[in-house]
This record gives sequence, C-alpha cells and structure tokens, in this order.
Amino acid sequence: MANKLTFMEMISPPEDISENGHLIDYLFNYTTTLNIFFFVLVCIGLFGFSFLYHRKRHPKAYYTYGNKRVHILVATVIGIAVFIGIDLNITRLSNNDYIGIFINWPDETKEDVVKVQVLGQQWAWNFRQAGVDGVFNTEDDLVTLNDLRVPAGKKVVFQILSKDVIHSLYFPNARRKTDAIPGRITRMWIQFNKPGNYDIACAEMCGTYHYRMKASLTVYEQENYDHWLAEAQQIHDAVNDPEDAGIYWGWKWAPNGKVNKVGMTK
Amino acid sequence: MAFYEQHIHPKPTTFLSKYIFSYDHKVIGKQFLWYGILFLLVGGLMALMIRWTLAYPGQAFPIIGHFLFPETGGAVPPDTYAMLFTMHGTIMIFYAITPILIGAFGNFCIPLMLGARDMAFPLLNMLSFHLAALSGLILMASLFTPLGAAAGGWTSYPTLSTLIGSPGVGQTLWSLAIFVLGVSSTMGAVNYITTIITLRAPGMGYFDMPLTIWGLGLTAVLNAIFLPVLGAGVLLLIFDRVFGTTFFLAGAAATTGTGDPVLFQHVFWIFGHPEVYILILPAWGIVSDQLSFFARKPAFGAKATALSMTSITVLSTLVYGHHMFTTQMSPLLTQTFMTLTMTISIPSAIFFANWLGTIWKGSIRFHSPMLFSLGVVFVFGLGGLTGLYLGTVTTDLYLHDTYFVVGHFHYTMAASVLLGGFAATYFWMPKMFGTIMNEFWAKVHFWITMMGLNGVFFGMMLVGYGGMHRRIYNPFIYEFTQKLIPINTFTTWAAIVMGLAQIIFVINFVHAVFFKKEQASDNPWEVGTLEWTIPSPAPHYNFKDIPVVKCGPHEFGNPNLSGGKDYQYQTEELA
Amino acid sequence: MSGTMVNQELKQDPAKARLSSSIAMIMALISFSMLFATLMLGYFAFRFTSEVWPPLGMERISLGIPTASTVVILLSSLLYLCFESKVSQKSLKSGRFYFTATFVLGCTFMIIQTLLWSKLKELGIFTGTSVFASMLYAFTWIHAAHVAGGIIALLFLIPTVSGTREHEASLSWVQNVGQYWHFLGIVWVIMYFSLFVF
Repeated sequence: MANKLTFMEMISPPEDISENGHLIDYLFNYTTTLNIFFFVLVCIGLFGFSFLYHRKRHPKAYYTYGNKRVHILVATVIGIAVFIGIDLNITRLSNNDYIGIFINWPDETKEDVVKVQVLGQQWAWNFRQAGVDGVFNTEDDLVTLNDLRVPAGKKVVFQILSKDVIHSLYFPNARRKTDAIPGRITRMWIQFNKPGNYDIACAEMCGTYHYRMKASLTVYEQENYDHWLAEAQQIHDAVNDPEDAGIYWGWKWAPNGKVNKVGMTK
Repeated sequence: MAFYEQHIHPKPTTFLSKYIFSYDHKVIGKQFLWYGILFLLVGGLMALMIRWTLAYPGQAFPIIGHFLFPETGGAVPPDTYAMLFTMHGTIMIFYAITPILIGAFGNFCIPLMLGARDMAFPLLNMLSFHLAALSGLILMASLFTPLGAAAGGWTSYPTLSTLIGSPGVGQTLWSLAIFVLGVSSTMGAVNYITTIITLRAPGMGYFDMPLTIWGLGLTAVLNAIFLPVLGAGVLLLIFDRVFGTTFFLAGAAATTGTGDPVLFQHVFWIFGHPEVYILILPAWGIVSDQLSFFARKPAFGAKATALSMTSITVLSTLVYGHHMFTTQMSPLLTQTFMTLTMTISIPSAIFFANWLGTIWKGSIRFHSPMLFSLGVVFVFGLGGLTGLYLGTVTTDLYLHDTYFVVGHFHYTMAASVLLGGFAATYFWMPKMFGTIMNEFWAKVHFWITMMGLNGVFFGMMLVGYGGMHRRIYNPFIYEFTQKLIPINTFTTWAAIVMGLAQIIFVINFVHAVFFKKEQASDNPWEVGTLEWTIPSPAPHYNFKDIPVVKCGPHEFGNPNLSGGKDYQYQTEELA
Repeated sequence: MSGTMVNQELKQDPAKARLSSSIAMIMALISFSMLFATLMLGYFAFRFTSEVWPPLGMERISLGIPTASTVVILLSSLLYLCFESKVSQKSLKSGRFYFTATFVLGCTFMIIQTLLWSKLKELGIFTGTSVFASMLYAFTWIHAAHVAGGIIALLFLIPTVSGTREHEASLSWVQNVGQYWHFLGIVWVIMYFSLFVF
C-alpha cells in the first residue's frame, strides 16, 4: 500500500500533467471559494436563526409576510448577487477556456501535432497512429491495444469512435473526457507535459466489464518517443498480418478539428 | 372557485372496496405510501450491496450474500453489480420517490388542503395506482429472467440498451415497466391539475393555496408534459429491441439501417431534466409550508416563493443539454445550455432567501417535521451549489460521469427528498392514521439520518473530485483511485449506519399505524390549513360542509387573533 | 372548529362540471401531443441531418393509400361534428346515423392502415430497411393504437345514442370524446404531410 497520505492529499485530484488541465482546477477552486462563501451565509442564517429564535428564547414571532418593499429588495438582491457573483463569473471563465482553448483546434498545417485515432470497444481501447507515410488506415499504421504513447510537450489530437456501445475516453491526469460514440466521430486535443505512466479509463457505462476498460498512457520525452515509435513499428509489422481486414478500422483523417461523417450511412 | 360540489359517498364496507379497489384519495394515497416504502427498502438494500462491493471488492456480502450469490462465494458478481445500480436508480426515482412524494402525499393532501371531498376523477386515481402496481411487478419480474434485469444504468443509453449491448429480455421489461409507470403518473398528473383548478374551496385563490399544493401542482404540470417524451423514447427503444427498427442503432449494432444513439440521449434528458425538478418540487413546497408552521409566522415572501417555483418549472425545460456536454454538441448549443442552466440560480436563491426569512424572528418549535425541514434547507443548499460545477462546461468535462455527479444528485434528490418525505410523514401521520409518531425516536432518526446522509454523499463528492468514475465494479484497479479507498470505505460505513437508522423509522411508523392506542387530536400542530379543520384521522367524506376560505394558509401571529391562539384557520374570519 | 357554510351556488351548474372534464381532456391532449411531438422531433432530426432522403435509396410509397386514410379520418371528424350538434339539439335519432358513420369510418381507417402496412411489406420495406422505414412503421403503429383507443371511446357513447344517459352527462361525454377524435385527425394530417407528401 502507498505510504500514508494526509487527508488533503487523499482528496485532491490526480496529478495534472497536461498543459491546460490547470484551467479546470482553477475554475473548480474558484467556484468552491464562492460556494463556500454563500453556503456559510446560508448556514449562519440556518443555525443562527435556529438558535436565536428558539421558542424559549424568542416567544413571540414577528408577524410579517415578507412582502414589504425592503424584504423584496433583500431577497432579490440576494438572488441577483448569487447569479452575478457566482454564475456569470464562472460562465465567463468557462466560456473563455472552452472556446479559446479546449475546442480551439490546432492548425495542423502550421503546428506539429501528434494525431491519434481511437476506437473504443467492449472492453478495450485501440489506438492508431499514422506511421511513416502519414496516412491513416494504411499498412504502416501503428496500432496498439490499451497502450497509448505520446511525446511530452506536443499537442495530441484525438479522433474517437466506438465500435459497439457508447464509451468515454477519460484521462484523469488531464482532466478531460470525450464520449466515444458508434457511428459518429468525436474529437479532443490535449498537450501532455510530464513524462511518466498514467491511467486511461472508460467513463461511460458500457457493459459488465466497463470497470476494467483500462488503458495505459505513457508520456515520453521527445527522443524516447521517436525511439519507441521506430521500435514499435518493427514489432507491429512482425506481429500483425497486413492481410487481416480487422486491423483496418481507421478512417481518413479530417484535419483541423473537422470530422467526416464516417459510419453515418443512415 | 370550486366548479361544483362533490357528493358524499356512503362509506365502503367490504375489504376489497375499502383497501384494494378504493376510490378514496386518502386510501389510494396510503396504498402509494406502502408501495413506495417497500420499494425504498428494496432500493436501499441494493444501495448497500453496491456500497459493500465498492469498499470490499470480492468479499461476501454480509448475511445474505452466500444465499444470493453462491457461485462467487457470496460476493456480488460484476454483471449483477451492473443490474444493481441500474435497478437502484430506477427503483428510487420511479418506485420510491414518485409514489411517496407525488402518489402518496399528492393524493392525500391535495383534496384535503383544497377543501374538496376527493380528487376530480376518483376512478382515474384508482387506475393510476393499479397501473403503478403492475409496473412494479413487471420491473421486479425482470430480475428473474434468465439473463437478469436491465443492466445499462437507469439512463439506459443505446446502444448498450439495444440488443447488442443487452440481449436479455430484462431490458425490454424495464422499458415496458417505465412506459406503464409513465401512463400511471400521467393519469395522476391530469387528475391533480384538474382538481387544483376546479375544486378549490370557495374563497381560495391560487395564492391562498398552501405552498405544498404549489409544489405538487407544478410537479403535475411537468409530469403531464414530459412523461410522454420519455414514453416515446422507451417505446422507440422497445421497437428497436422487438420489432427491428433502427432508431438508435449505430456501429456494430446497425446491421441494416442506422439511426442515432445520441438522439435517445436528447429525448431522455428532455424528460430527464424536468424529472429531477418533478422529484424535488413537492419537497420544496412542503418545506416552505412547514418552516412557516413551526416558526409560527407567515411564510416569508410566499407569493415570491410560489412564483420562483413556477419560473424554475419553466426554466427546467430549457437546460437539459448540460447532461450531454461530453457528447460534443455544437459549441453554440453547449454554451447556450450552460448559460440557461445558470439562470436557475436566481429563483432558487430567492426562495432560499425566503426560507431563511421565514425562520428569521420566528418562534421556532423543533418538532420532528421541523427538524427534517431544516435538514432539507441544509442538504439542498449544499447539493444545489454543487450543481454549479456540473453546469459549467469545463469543470463538467472533468466531473462528468464521476462520483461527483452521484454525490450532487444524491444530495439534491435523495437527501432533500428523503428528508422532505420524512417531514411529510411525521407531519401528516395524525391526519392519515390518527396517531402521532413517537417524538423522541423521530429525533434520533433525524440526527442519525442527517449524519449518515452527509457522510455518504459528501464522501461521494470527495472521491468524485478525486476523479473516480461511476458505475464501476472495482474502482481500485486504477492507479489514480488507490488513494480513494479509505474514503470509499468510510462512505460505505456511513451508508450502513444510515440504512440501519431507517429501522428506527420503520418501527416507529408501523407502531403508530397499527399499535398505538393514544389517538391524536384534530390539530396537534396547531396549524390553520383546511385539513386540520376536520377530525384526525380524516373521515371518509373529508368535509361535511364544503369550507369557505377567508385567509391564506400561513396566518400565524396576527395581532388580531384572540382566544390564546397564535394561528388562524383558513376558514376563520378575524375581526 | 370553524363555521362552514354550504355554498348554494356550488350544487348546480353542470356546465361547470363539463368544463372540469374538458380541462382534464385538454391536459390529456397536451400529454398525447408531447408523445407525438417527440416522434416528430426524432423524424426531423433524422431527416435534416441526413445527406440523402429517403436514405439508402429507399423508394417512397405512392400517395394513394395515405391519401385515402386522410380523407377517411377527416370525413369521420366532420361526421362527428354533425353528431355532436344533433346531440346538443337532443335529436338522438338523426344523431345515431352520424355516430354510426363515424364509427364505421374509424374502423375503415384502421383497415386502410393495415393495407398500408402490407403495401410497405410488398415493396420490400420492413422496419429495419432504413430509419425512415422505422419511422413510418413506428409512427403509424402508435397513431393506430391511439385510434383504436378512440374507437373504444366511441363505444362509451352508446348509452348516449341509445338514450339511457342523462342529457348533461351526454354533452360532456360527447364533447370530450370528440376532442380526442379530432386531435387524432389533426395528428394524422401532420403525419401525412411530413412523412408521405414532403
């Protein structure tokens, strides 16, 4: 068992190894601070009034319908304060992050991105990288099972599909997940910064063994990644039969965040 | 206001007409109450089995484990685990909360508080109960089919819930049971709405109705409008499973044509989001009334509370997409749903302020119903605020499908509604059954339940924040969940304590219903709403003469009151 | 205990009682509308996100049978309106003719629907052929099931046409069943134009 953790360590989220996961952590803490503020006010009211206005301490109730102007004003001010103070603030922050970063797809003509196609199935994750020819779904693709390896410091763009039921590709250490849906490609981009070995899980109920749909994420320094890529390619070619139609589950890569409606034949 | 006066029917004499095929809304309410409590216990047992598996994977479930699961040495197997959380969710939502809050207290309270002799359509009412009973039978029957009950989560997303993911008949029976229950609840909703519109006693305007009725009426409106949406969704799912249609099939499931699995999610949540408000609105109404009753002053801003509840009802129809942020809807849709979800904060905060305003400068009696109502204020405050993280897109990308969501909805749905339901039970016991439940044990029940609830659901939010995802049989095969094991164990023990505390309630309840000798007075809580103007328990005809209403339901502490009373009956006219 | 008064006005006014059941029927129709609206939502979602319609090269069914259905159901509504006015005028004898005509046309509608389903099968269009086929079958089945319910509801009007039911109660029954019947006609017309014509 791991060495004894403090309570705070126990309840903190997994280590954030991504470029932009901290935005989510920041917003969470921001919201928590505001929530604590308002909840403490509620508790002061709840417990304070319960104490102060106990029948024995306060035998005669104050007769009011709470419909005088001042009462309405106070209640409305509270309502608006919560809305502007918490809601509008977090909406603004979240919007900025979502539009500005999380769904702001890197321009593949200008940036050097790593492209990965993901096929979820009951109950495993298949990962495909394009190989030397740079084209997906060809003989030289590198296809791995439950084993995703990426270089640190580069944007990784995922196009995700499911073979059978809905799954969800979940990177706890990057704070991100995106559903893998049969018949429709979804996408996500993440930049992993810290080398190491991390968990990938499935975050949408997909059957009896949903709980062990575990894959491994390995983040390498760039040189180690290149080294692995070359090695893996050799092993893959030795192990996999190019005549096997089953390994060509990939699709044409749609650049810059667009997706083609592969699989939607209706 | 009342459109007509209902006749006084002769008292039923046979066992069947008194207890099984009764037209009396009070009896039907009690039928729903027993039915709901039974399913609450079944759902609760399932919850304990889930919690045991999460704390001690692979270990035999205590006492009944070896009997239920002999092949695995008493431990819950993975496929059964999936059935357990599916059925737990389904049972708690549709077979426990709905029957207790809406079926039992809706039926019992609405005519009485309105000054009517019965619901507008007593036959429809009876049919509604029997359909619900049929639905429960179908659901429980699915447990005994060869491949077992539905196991795709209570949300039953395709394509897991289509034949490819759920080959057994259990999922079809589940869908059928939900459909039948939907019909039952819709019948009830039509009945409640018509009764509220047409059978209010003379002199009772809408704002003279107790807030409990507001809650129940708004719930009925949402039920009537959105249950058919769910009905359509499950019907199409049944068609996919039984008649070969392709509405939700895609990928490997789409052997002929293809449809769109995400369409089901849209249809489900168009119903699903109003559904969570359906579940909480009665409790909000009950708490709003009881805070006033036990603080002995009028409900602060009662009209504003009623209007806030109404605006939340309307807004709840516009926000469903926040359940689907990870399915990658268009950015415009995603942002719109987030912003609309946020607007619900305004009316919620207003009626919260009104709740606190009600007890402010009151003269508070801490009888058990009041303790539970105050408990609701606490847990709903906490639970509601945690919804903010989930309504915000970016934090939801992390928290979606983790235990944070589970903690959030248990705080807002389970804790709040359960406490509200207990408040209602302790409060209306005299009018329903003619006795008062033991006050000491009620308070013990309250404190242990309160601590247990917070332990369980806060524990869930903590592990959710730690990233632990949902619906998993053994969370600890992952590196990142290892450190969450102690919190999970704590949560399980809090759940066990909470579960055991309910035994106190059951004993108290059964004793009060069947064995208590001491009869309650007509108005033990000294409250002015119409049901307390008639004897305890209520006679079968409710009101010998239809009352004429002279004031609102929260007249406490009026300086013009005389005779040592600090409250005014709604039928009383003051000088 | 407080003093209560019996409100004399409450005791009479069957018009108010009729209004009460009308309110209930309107609520029920709202519920039914939501069911059909959801089906329509699904249909439009599929139709407008699909590149080609009908999908998978499915041929469209010719308008003969659907148009016949439309004519029959609209005619039945018209005849029902005549029935309703006869009942309110208390001329039950002529009312009986219109009632029977409505009933017969209702049954005819059901028969035409079965013809529709056989025609589809003849053309090789089964539930699984495409999502459009699924929609056609599902929508028409659900509508037909509600029409069957409507036909059963018509049977509840037999006491009215045979004269054994009190006039006021009859007015209420006839009005409510009528609202349901016309509603189903309106739903069919919407289906006709959405699924078959355009």
